[in-house]
Amino acid sequence: MSVVAAPNTRIAAHGPHAQSREEIASSLGMFIALGAWTMMFAALFFVYLGARARFEVWPPPGVPHLPVALPALNTAVLLGSSGVIAYAVRELGRGRRRLLTPLLGLGMTLGVAFLGLQLVVWRDLWLAGLLPSSGLYGSVFYGLTGLHALHVLAGLVVLLVVFGRAFGGAYDAEDAYKVRLVALFWHFVDVVWVLMFLSIYVL
Amino acid sequence: MELQPIHDPPKSFVKKYLFSIDHKYIAQQFLWTGMAFLALGGTLAYMIRWQWAYPMEPVPMMGQLLGNTGGVITPPTYTSIFTMHGLIMIFWAITPILIGAFGNFTIPLMIGARDMAFPKLNMYSYWMFLISGVFVILSFTSQLGAASAGWTTYPPLSTNIGSPGWGQTYMAVAIFTTGISTIMGGINYIVTVIRFRAPGMTYMRMPLTIWGMWLTAILNVLFVPVLGSAALLLALDRLFGTKFFIASAAVQNGGDPILFQHLFWIFGHPEVYILILPAWGIVGDILSFFARKPAFWYRGSVFAMCAVTVLSAVVYGHHMYQTGMAPLLGLGFEILTLAISVPAVILFVNWLNTIWRGSLRLTGPMLFALGMVFVFGLGGLTGLLLGTISTDIYLHDTMYVVGHFHLTMAAASFLASFAALYFWFPKMTGKLMDETLGKIHFWGSVVFITLTFGGQMVAGYSGQHRRLYDPFQYTYLKHLAPLNQYTSYFAFTLMAFQLVFIVNLVRSLLAGKKASQNPWQVSTLEWTNCASPPVYHNFDDVPTVVRGPHEYAHPEAKKYLGRDYLDQVEPMPTSAGDVPAAKKAAVGA
Repeated sequence: MSVVAAPNTRIAAHGPHAQSREEIASSLGMFIALGAWTMMFAALFFVYLGARARFEVWPPPGVPHLPVALPALNTAVLLGSSGVIAYAVRELGRGRRRLLTPLLGLGMTLGVAFLGLQLVVWRDLWLAGLLPSSGLYGSVFYGLTGLHALHVLAGLVVLLVVFGRAFGGAYDAEDAYKVRLVALFWHFVDVVWVLMFLSIYVL
Repeated sequence: MELQPIHDPPKSFVKKYLFSIDHKYIAQQFLWTGMAFLALGGTLAYMIRWQWAYPMEPVPMMGQLLGNTGGVITPPTYTSIFTMHGLIMIFWAITPILIGAFGNFTIPLMIGARDMAFPKLNMYSYWMFLISGVFVILSFTSQLGAASAGWTTYPPLSTNIGSPGWGQTYMAVAIFTTGISTIMGGINYIVTVIRFRAPGMTYMRMPLTIWGMWLTAILNVLFVPVLGSAALLLALDRLFGTKFFIASAAVQNGGDPILFQHLFWIFGHPEVYILILPAWGIVGDILSFFARKPAFWYRGSVFAMCAVTVLSAVVYGHHMYQTGMAPLLGLGFEILTLAISVPAVILFVNWLNTIWRGSLRLTGPMLFALGMVFVFGLGGLTGLLLGTISTDIYLHDTMYVVGHFHLTMAAASFLASFAALYFWFPKMTGKLMDETLGKIHFWGSVVFITLTFGGQMVAGYSGQHRRLYDPFQYTYLKHLAPLNQYTSYFAFTLMAFQLVFIVNLVRSLLAGKKASQNPWQVSTLEWTNCASPPVYHNFDDVPTVVRGPHEYAHPEAKKYLGRDYLDQVEPMPTSAGDVPAAKKAAVGA
């Protein structure tokens, strides 16, 4: 994190524009906030590991099998959304803000699609008899994926605000970093999902 | 580094007093709210002490609050009272006063910033805290009583099976909400210290107070989220019927109550250092300021505090020795726990060496700082028996534990908070506090705080378990009734002495003498470069710092300036002519 220690002059020598005081502080604040979020999800994964360690076979006998194909597709959808948003940020950083609103719109649509597919997965499992109250397995499954979905929802709300502002003409080279930081949160949610997909559905 | 811009102070009442973004005013919001909760927690402590002295007799003065029982504390009410006492004191009294109020007040002023890095986030942090306070009050009003599973909120007692009703649920939500507030504050503190130090204010020139606040903020940001997860999962168990922490024969594939204990203490052990690191920092500074000597081995203190911060993250298992942990794991936690005494002793010896042969000025803040050193020493030494497995087996869950953690968390943190309050009150309000009343308050506090918690430790060593509704219904504890009664008298006296403080506070606020810019003659920025109280943007010109915060007993300053200390910002005087006359007069000696 060279942003942290380096004074403005050094950053100006490398970057396309001098990072403002707000930009450096906000970036640092976002990194620290993501650190806090990481610890929160780390605690949830700790619960998952603790739950798994209690059972000799996992999944415990008698629970419906989790699907893999649909969640895999869903992972691709969310990764795609992340990629689209990253592309929008890169274009914005190069001063091309024409693509910003369409790309943000596409990224958000993919995010909504993720939530929709997630609802389908939940419904199927619910109908197959896996309930949050049916035992530790169901609790961990719905608890972890549910809390993650809430973060996707929160990310979508923030992206919607950014989208609205971008539509109104905001975000030039000076405050493009705001879009970049929101995108950072979106990527973070994405990474958490990949870990959840691997640990809950695949392994 | 670019400087923070100067904004005009807000004019409207709402922006100035309610939704303030000024760190000095937010500090006061935290201070007064925290004090209100401190009074509430103190009232609950009064009821607990009454119960232990005279079980099942009507509580004087407060009996009517207990509902239709003729003033007698019933067993369910009793469990609610000690649960809420613990939670309120930790999350809604010490945290806002020590970290919320003094962190907010000192960080920008002492490092030479015009405000926090994110003033609005600071405001949200306070309002989040206030919302969490509303949930605490809601918990009291719920039909089946307030939360009653102990402050540790262990399942299965804290699940719907052990404590039905909304009281416990509200508290889970309140803990989660106040956690968000703490994390917001923590992010702000960390970024402010990293990015907004005045020119020349290197890390090794920061006052120890700032080091303490900064390390605390780092621990907060890392470990409060873990508590947030635990509270969230508990709330899910209570509201949506999940089975994370419920294990019983009735539940197939049930959860694991011990899992909650892990999450709780992964947070909970850093938490005790979260509550003591700012106190260490404040005391380290105040001892140097009022002993008129440089802080002994400043770097050693800083490194010791950093070492404790790191170690605090890897010792939580010592709270769980009795959960059937593998002996090898227990041994590891024991060694790590006892290793903390090395940096702790370094700090302690540094404090003693700082006051050794100093010209002590026994003012209010100094007395409270010395009192903190005393009770923290007692608390630290008695902790060794709890960190060692072989002795912990006997002392676990006794009043000895209660006495120990009150000496460190309650006594040490609160004496340090009072030291901070007496010290920064003139800067906060522009008024001086009464020194005589302050000294009465100090002696009453330090003597009776030691006797109260010392009495608890003796009772625990004699075998009295904590949380017993009526300890004396057991034959083997009957003879401890007089001991408990005396301890209660000490506690009541301690509470009575706090009235002196309230009188002093109100009198000073209403009719206190006007404080000069630097009434304590100390060298840090908030005293040397800010008016009392500071202007809205703190510093008209952000000063350039040239030295550390503890330049006292300085022979050259004495020779050329006629006083015994050097500001953090003034150049080294080589002859009397080098010092502008105006500056010499303004600072005074």
